[in-house]
Amino acid sequence: MTILYEMAWRFLHALFYVQRALVAWFRVHIWRWKRAVVGLLLPLALGLHKPKKTGTISKRTSRRVRCGADGRTLEKLPLHLGLLITEEEIHFTDVANLVVWCMAVGISYVSVYDNQGVFRRNNSRLMEEILKQQQELLGMDSSKYSVEFMKNGTDKQEHQVLSCQSVVKVLSPDDGRLSIVQAAQQLCRDVEQKEKTLKDINVTVLDSLLRESKNIPDPDLVLKFGPVESTLGFLPWHIRLTEIMRCFIIDRCWD
Amino acid sequence: MSWIRERELSFLERLTANILKAGPMPKHVAFIMDGNRRFAQKAHVQRQEGHSQGFEKLAETLRWCLNLGIHEVTVYAFSIENFKRSKEEVDGLMELARQKFSRLLTEQENLEKHGVCIRVLGDLTLLPADLQQLIAKSVVATKAHNKCFLNVCFAYTSRYEIASAVKEMAWGVEQGLIKSSDVSEVLLSECLYSSNSPNPDLLIRTSGEVRLSDFLLWQTSYSCLVFQSVLWPEYSFWNLCEAVLQYQLSYQSLQKARDLHREGQALQQMEEDRSCVAELLQHRGNGKLVDSQSRQKELLNYIASREERVRCFLNALQHKRDTFFSDLSSQAFICYL
Repeated sequence: MTILYEMAWRFLHALFYVQRALVAWFRVHIWRWKRAVVGLLLPLALGLHKPKKTGTISKRTSRRVRCGADGRTLEKLPLHLGLLITEEEIHFTDVANLVVWCMAVGISYVSVYDNQGVFRRNNSRLMEEILKQQQELLGMDSSKYSVEFMKNGTDKQEHQVLSCQSVVKVLSPDDGRLSIVQAAQQLCRDVEQKEKTLKDINVTVLDSLLRESKNIPDPDLVLKFGPVESTLGFLPWHIRLTEIMRCFIIDRCWD
Repeated sequence: MSWIRERELSFLERLTANILKAGPMPKHVAFIMDGNRRFAQKAHVQRQEGHSQGFEKLAETLRWCLNLGIHEVTVYAFSIENFKRSKEEVDGLMELARQKFSRLLTEQENLEKHGVCIRVLGDLTLLPADLQQLIAKSVVATKAHNKCFLNVCFAYTSRYEIASAVKEMAWGVEQGLIKSSDVSEVLLSECLYSSNSPNPDLLIRTSGEVRLSDFLLWQTSYSCLVFQSVLWPEYSFWNLCEAVLQYQLSYQSLQKARDLHREGQALQQMEEDRSCVAELLQHRGNGKLVDSQSRQKELLNYIASREERVRCFLNALQHKRDTFFSDLSSQAFICYL
């Protein structure tokens, strides 16, 4: 009987994997179909009279126009948007594209996180990729959007805040539980040295201590990419009221 | 029993349960039972009725969990934020809690038969005194049971729980039981209200909201999160199975992530210990170099003494918590004499 149940379980899981693969396949093809339609209709919408040799406007121009258009249709923007990448294999170009889109749309604080610390170890590679995509996708407008990369451990703002300035921060599990532990150690040291009493320890005090060392605003929205249904240690203190949405990177959709 | 529905599964439900149980099953599931008020609006009944139905659904869900071999359940019954709701609603919820905890106390035999251990997590001092006493009695009465565990988060928020854990560690330091350098991720976890439970494997939130709303933020860092659109009073066995299936699909990746995190924790602790020993030797030594063998010996001694300090501190903390509940519970006894 147990063997039968086991077989049925394997069959059930196989069904789900097939379903997931089919859904992913449909998603890609429907997206490509939509993109093709937009590519054809966009010139009409913009009132371009002379189509280029290929008969459609270049992919690059359409992407740039879309970025701006997307931003204008949004009534409300999150102050801090987190990109939580749970995928096994990380595509830096895809992530860079997402960051640039966030900047173009007007989101002022974007964080990028993975639980293995891949982004933290390859901070400069991500930075280069973002600057490259910024140039490619935003072209002439890219000078309007300056990006501030928060270095790990320091939070001093080196540039003046410009109107279209976005902050990009790379996070890892160390910014989560470990930061809380470090704040706890500080408070315990203060009690040990009789600088604080137990009455001085509460949510507000702990919260301000955490903001002192790393001033990360609470994420309003987290976009979770990848098959793992978990936050994988992403800023546990800060995600108290954060909306967590599952998203899918349609592979190589930006070509 | 009023808190756990006495109803057996149908044939199809039993079959599905057996198939699911062939794979990895969550041992501890947490529920954010959201949607009572929306259900009441939909069904054109009073909000209070919605909450009442919500409790009935909890009893049913606990039965399903037991049938699926899930022996620990944590539920978010009342947040500290919920005190901001209308006085009418808050009073209604307190009255519902009074009824349910009083009823629980009359079902001792059943509770013992099923081995149900009830724990209430939160800042109970924020609740009316009589409700505090009822809760304390329930907790003390079921303390020794160990077949299944129900953790009810009442007057709870996760940030408050974390701050409270930090306060407990500070108390340990103040009492001279531990040093500030003993503070670690593992120790903080042991000081949370939920210290007697393993972290939830699966967290389910109903009603379509996709937030954690200050619930078990620390404990669910590596849990499978499932957000379902069904309203809590309409929750079904199939919804639960769907969530369990989702857990099974994420199981391998979650195990991997948890193992990685545990390794990181161990490394962090080792670093901390080495640093403390280095500082110790520096203070003790007179500029003399210590050979690696002596250093290793010092390190092992330090780790042993740290673990002993922590053990004593955690015993003292558990004693403090047990005393709080037994004092509160016995106060009620005196009142009724």
